[in-house]
Amino acid sequence: MAGFILIVIAACIFPGVILRTKSLLSGRKGPGFFQPVKDISVLMKKGSVFSTTTGLIFQIAPVVTLASILCSLMVIPFGEHRALLSFEGDFIFFSYMLAFGKFFTIIAALDTGSSFEGMGASREAFFSMLVEPAFFILLATFAMFTGYTSFSDIFNNFFITGNDYVMIYSIIGVYLLVQITLVENSRVPVDDPKTHLELTMIHEVMILDYSGFDKALIHIGSYLKFALYGSLIYNLIVPAEWNIFLQTFLFFTVQAFFAVIVGLTESFRARNKMNKNPKFILTLSAIAWIAFVVILIMTDKLV
Amino acid sequence: MVNYLIVFFAVTLMYFSSADRLTTYIKLIGIQGLLLCGIAIFELNEVNTANLLFIVSETLIFKTIMLPYLLTRIIQRSGVTKVHRLAMPGFNLLLFSIFGLLISVILAKILINPFINTIYLAIALFTLFTGMLLIVTHKLIISHLIGFLIIENAVFMFSLAIGNEMPMMINIGILLDIFVGVLILGFFGLRLKPHTNELTMLKD
Repeated sequence: MAGFILIVIAACIFPGVILRTKSLLSGRKGPGFFQPVKDISVLMKKGSVFSTTTGLIFQIAPVVTLASILCSLMVIPFGEHRALLSFEGDFIFFSYMLAFGKFFTIIAALDTGSSFEGMGASREAFFSMLVEPAFFILLATFAMFTGYTSFSDIFNNFFITGNDYVMIYSIIGVYLLVQITLVENSRVPVDDPKTHLELTMIHEVMILDYSGFDKALIHIGSYLKFALYGSLIYNLIVPAEWNIFLQTFLFFTVQAFFAVIVGLTESFRARNKMNKNPKFILTLSAIAWIAFVVILIMTDKLV
Repeated sequence: MVNYLIVFFAVTLMYFSSADRLTTYIKLIGIQGLLLCGIAIFELNEVNTANLLFIVSETLIFKTIMLPYLLTRIIQRSGVTKVHRLAMPGFNLLLFSIFGLLISVILAKILINPFINTIYLAIALFTLFTGMLLIVTHKLIISHLIGFLIIENAVFMFSLAIGNEMPMMINIGILLDIFVGVLILGFFGLRLKPHTNELTMLKD
């Protein structure tokens, strides 16, 4: 339960830190840390407008997406505290719940009948398909490393294996998770959330037709996903047996640091050309594959 | 520590497959030289000091500094900054590379014996595969040279896979380095005509 609450709190601050980092780096005073939360509260008070072309799928998609993200939050542990839901193979549940939410976003985009949204949906589906192997290979590596297939057990036993490879898998894991987060949340260098040209959009073009309350739900989902991946990163670098107060402090520090990294990336890095994105994403899978191969050799599990 | 360096060495190989700018290739060649230097320092602790010093200085001065410098000069003189447009796309190259890593691991497992370090052998085979892949799929002769340098690094890794008993193998690798240096200087540094690509293109 602690993990769930902390992730929700971190999600409120995360986008603010990104905005603040970007504005400071561009020499502006910028909005406050809680500006995105205020924007959401304004959107919440508004009603939704639906195009006559759209159907039921379009209307339920934001709720389903947010629900799926909340479900996937339940399997993330915090330190020694087990997750709300914890069972063997829960990382597969986690991944497919997120994929389920994305599936609804994609079919909702197709439901609008707009060629722009269809194009964005196609790109999003393709990039998600490419990033999925990286995530699964990474988690399979951790599962093989610790001998467990549940997030709670993997992270509780990750640092007590006493293996020399712990540090290297933490580094590779953090690097891959940061990149996967950027892909999954459609941020620079894969996508630019601030772009105004529909032809170059990926995620933003899919949610163009949403307004008011539904748009607020989509934004909440996006912020939660950031904090969710940040929580995975935290679990990879902080041993589970440390003091709870220190852990809570480190949790927010890691989340803030992660948000600053995203802000720095968006400030200093140009967006990839669209045709370079598949190669960029596949490189992540390739790096995860190297980690997997090394662990296969190390544990003598290669048949 | 040495395992960290090997894994990062393998990661640089993946970036070779995905990169399409020659400057990136050169940076990666320099990084690989540095990583090999680190691996040699940590691994070859049983060879005599003079031999170790020679190997370390060779990797550090030649592979990390001189080769990237020479290659940068060649790029500046020829004006060629990117791989040829007819080269295999990076996406396909990455897929081949992933497949290559799998094959390398299987081969390393088949060839396993008490005298060979499996991780070294697997990464050495993968390095060899990446170098050959770069040569086969790219059009510009400078990419072929880069591929050749990667193969040379594979030879170095092979010698480390066998362990401390084979310093001669490393020396052969060094001789190969010198050969590559001569090749670069002879064909490119001195004879390449600026602003033309007649010597940069190997085949259509």
